[in-house]
Amino acid sequence: MSHVDEGTLHAYLDGELPSGDRAALEAHVAQCATCRAALTDERALRDRASAVLGRARPRERPAPPFEQIRRTPARHRWHVRMPFAWAASIALALGIGYLLRSPNQSVVASDQQGPTAEPTVVATNRTTGAPRQEQKAAAPVQARGTRRTTPAPADEIDRVRESRAPASDVVASAEARNSASSPTPAARRVSDSVGLVQLNDSLLRERLKTAHLETVVVTGAAVPAAAKSERGATTGWGGISRDVARSLLGQQPVGLPGLPIRAIRRGLGNGAVVVEQALDSSSVIQIIQRPAGSELRDSLSSGFGARAYRERADHLLARFIGRLRVEITGPISVDSLNRLLEQVQPLP
Amino acid sequence: MPEDLAEVYRNTYPALVRFLYRKVWDAERAEDLAQEAFTRALVHRPENTRGWLFVVAANMARDEARRAAREKRHLTLLKSEPEAVHSAPEDEIDADTQRTRVRAALEQLTPRDREALLLWDAGMSYDEIAAQTGLARGAIGTTLARARRRLVEAYDAGQEGGQDVARG
Repeated sequence: MSHVDEGTLHAYLDGELPSGDRAALEAHVAQCATCRAALTDERALRDRASAVLGRARPRERPAPPFEQIRRTPARHRWHVRMPFAWAASIALALGIGYLLRSPNQSVVASDQQGPTAEPTVVATNRTTGAPRQEQKAAAPVQARGTRRTTPAPADEIDRVRESRAPASDVVASAEARNSASSPTPAARRVSDSVGLVQLNDSLLRERLKTAHLETVVVTGAAVPAAAKSERGATTGWGGISRDVARSLLGQQPVGLPGLPIRAIRRGLGNGAVVVEQALDSSSVIQIIQRPAGSELRDSLSSGFGARAYRERADHLLARFIGRLRVEITGPISVDSLNRLLEQVQPLP
Repeated sequence: MPEDLAEVYRNTYPALVRFLYRKVWDAERAEDLAQEAFTRALVHRPENTRGWLFVVAANMARDEARRAAREKRHLTLLKSEPEAVHSAPEDEIDADTQRTRVRAALEQLTPRDREALLLWDAGMSYDEIAAQTGLARGAIGTTLARARRRLVEAYDAGQEGGQDVARG
């Protein structure tokens, strides 16, 4: 028998040689010094390789119980990704809104932090029970699915605002303008009690089939809002240059001198412009401006979303500066907004 | 059948994690993928569960590697330098260095040699390795002999030359 090759030696060492070959090999090695030496070498090599590989072991941790594996087929992954699913829903709403934006009817995306100054701006719902009930009691009209069209008494505003303050979730509400003049029962139900948790993908998609997404308002409650303001300020939606804003308005856009401008955007309605300025790292105020007498009301004379927007506008603080009607909104108190509004002037 | 799979799970899970770890080089990820493989086995009920598990695991690891390659740029951006400098205990640094060296040495092997070696180390038989890799059973011994030799040589070269072999 000629010398044994290394492959056979390794198969032998691995216990994988068929028994006949095994006996033959052992008989040969017993009388062949070269193969004996080779076998010793290969054994050393084999052990060495195992030792080297053994240095790259994961920490030994006990396997989770098999029952646990059985109970979590793939569901586990979805569970983990639920928040992303919600994020995707919102992104979808925003994206479609943007895509459906026609040149004359641009989308306003407003992002607010903190308790809003205007409690009836959007249909919001907190998942916590008590504040919701209080809100309901304060606004029985809302409970029927129609929207409040008169300003709430000041103390009521305060109460509602207070009730919102502890909530720390972000609520997104997509306002859809239906082709029909009144919202469908489903849409009404959603608009009435829409919360992030309830606005699911399929429902949103269903609504989008028949509805024209017009405004998307994301309202944050009183929380350290650095991240949120970041989102509001950095989204590229409708971002326009100062020159474009000037040509839309027919004059210099207005704002608060001395505050950094985070963005200038196209607003809802012809010729409307939104100037976003940062009060500090976590609060952004929006100064919405349009030429006085522009056709905002006309262009939005009907439709669900239009009504929402109009109500919203009713509760914004507004004043005229030159030929511009200027509104202000932001995550600060009405008093503060009022004071800021007084200081608004054409930007240098 | 579920009892069989439970048995396979008990016997194979650690080996599968080890096998995956040497492909993805992330212990938690390896565990996740191993569990995922078993979850899929529960659905598919394959004939040869053990072999099937390793095939699935190898595929998942390959997908993982592709994804990791795509994300590599982002990861290097996100990964902060101080992490390694962190005052880790001596032996931990040692273990880290050794792991890196083994990884570098494994990367010196041809994919087929590496696969055969990792499968053997995970407890697969020659027959199973042959089925998995498409090699003839008679070639497994030779393949393993070559893989072991190259691994040890590359590892030793890395130890002497340091950064020469362990190319990042």
